[in-house]
Amino acid sequence: MRIGSGEGFWSPIVWVILALGVLAIGFAVWLQGRRTYKRGTEQEEPFLSGERLPEGAGVGATHLYWGFAEALKPLLVRLGAFHSGFLGDYVGWLLVLLVISILVVMLG
Amino acid sequence: MVHAPVLAIAVPLLGAFALPLLARLNRRARDLWAAGIAVATLVFGIAVAVQVFASGRPLVYTLGAPSPTASVTEGGFPIRIVLVVDALGAYMGIIALLAGAVGLFYSFQYLVEEEGKTLGTSLLLLLWAGILGLVYTGDLFNFFVFLEITSIAACALIGYRVWEPRPPEAAFKTMVMYTLGGLLVLVSVGILYGEYDALNIAYLSKLITGTLLDKLALGLLLGGLLMKAGAVPAHMWAPDAYGEAPAMAAIVLVANTQAAIYALLRVVFTLFGGALASPGIGWLIASLGTVTVLVAVLMAVVQRHLGRLVAYGAVSQLGYMLLAVGVGVVAAGKGFGEVALKGGIFHMINDLASVGLLFLVVGAIRRAVGSVDLLSLGGLGHTLRWESGFFLLGALALAGIPPLNGFASKFLIYESTFKASPILAAVAVLSSILLLGVGVRAFHGIFLGPKTRDVASSPRGMLVAMGVLAVIIVVFGLFPGFFIERMVSPAVQAILGGRASYLAAVLGG
Repeated sequence: MRIGSGEGFWSPIVWVILALGVLAIGFAVWLQGRRTYKRGTEQEEPFLSGERLPEGAGVGATHLYWGFAEALKPLLVRLGAFHSGFLGDYVGWLLVLLVISILVVMLG
Repeated sequence: MVHAPVLAIAVPLLGAFALPLLARLNRRARDLWAAGIAVATLVFGIAVAVQVFASGRPLVYTLGAPSPTASVTEGGFPIRIVLVVDALGAYMGIIALLAGAVGLFYSFQYLVEEEGKTLGTSLLLLLWAGILGLVYTGDLFNFFVFLEITSIAACALIGYRVWEPRPPEAAFKTMVMYTLGGLLVLVSVGILYGEYDALNIAYLSKLITGTLLDKLALGLLLGGLLMKAGAVPAHMWAPDAYGEAPAMAAIVLVANTQAAIYALLRVVFTLFGGALASPGIGWLIASLGTVTVLVAVLMAVVQRHLGRLVAYGAVSQLGYMLLAVGVGVVAAGKGFGEVALKGGIFHMINDLASVGLLFLVVGAIRRAVGSVDLLSLGGLGHTLRWESGFFLLGALALAGIPPLNGFASKFLIYESTFKASPILAAVAVLSSILLLGVGVRAFHGIFLGPKTRDVASSPRGMLVAMGVLAVIIVVFGLFPGFFIERMVSPAVQAILGGRASYLAAVLGG
């Protein structure tokens, strides 16, 4: 059940077999570890650089890609302004798309 | 089953108008009626698809003729309205059937009586009928009529919850954009009718020679259809519409937008295929598709509103389809052009399953918690276990993670796009990686973390609707060759080499 692109192929079944093999290796490595984990002890507390954390503290979803969003901030701010929410802008951009389409067809 | 093509459109259309009358009598009768309409539509739609895929020829049905196959008059001129379903139309019909059936089944327990259940169900059936008509018709003016039916039903579905502030605003914006897009299509139809005195797509395709007026008509059609397909820079209505529509409507709206991509293929390859399908048009569509993917994914990164986040994810997938269509036009006649079209067309059903699943989970969260603000959610995985699994599956499929269905179609799109332009392929791959980040962030924000509230899981009917899409994601991912061989390849052949058989099926000879 593989599909070809002319250059390569994709076989999900082969991928699944390989993935199961990798999981089996990972499981075997895990079995070699120390068995000192105890449920309901302080071992279940989140560890953040050894800091004492307040009750209910955790890493929020927005923190996960904070660095990524920060690096792209200039671009994202411009994109945010582009998506102004004003209907007049929507119509204006439709006209731009229309003009481009007609020009490409006429010149193409 | 001779009349299956027209019944697949007429049954949900008439069913939609009869539904409010039945609701006046009895609510249970209304629900049974809606279920019956859905089953009948599925039977007729599947019958059409089976006939087309089994015969390998377009299915022609003529309205108002002595016989359904009499599509031309004695003088050889087509004056009647015809429905023409080739393999592409049948494939798109299957997508519409899936979206409508799953959306309707989900709505039975999702919609609340006091919040316009009858109206919502009626509009859903109307939208379903419009999409099926749009993909089955072989008449250009009829195409415009069905486009308008879908537009009106879609906007009403988005905005009928008038007691909330945002849905009516989203519906108004969408209505203005759809109306302008529809006007562009209407003017184009008018130009072609004035020039050739005909509205039959096959007959027009035979006559079109590439005059200045033909070019203007094609440009107008491209503008209108690209807008309806959610291409940047005219995509801004889509996040508004998808984000504010009720969940069961959002999945059908995705099918509605995909119908615009189907129309793009029909216009470029069948209607104007003989005279005007140039690589320039292909590059335009491919470039807009790539920009759409990138812009939509970047906008998804910064969304707090879960509905809008998934909506931008949906727009990005439309970009992948446009990219594939564009490469298919650029490289028409070459091997990788065919691969691109296979990827793009396969991605339609994969996108419907993954984005549809995400929208249904968002609906379940809205129903359980009353909010879809990412910052106010968290820890829902403790109670919404099925929903969390479905969301993760949908997000991974959307990002194209193997072995799920999204990877299979994106693999074909990446490989073929690389041959046309490595830069466009690189942007497409990068955007998928970003999309994975968006999905992980959303999943983390909604379902992980300590339990903060007690919420009830979704009713069984809603879970079953989500489960159907989850099964499609896994099965299409594990056995892509099976579906590509039986459904996607015939659809690609219908547009690449099937123009002659389309014309012959309608006009004879």
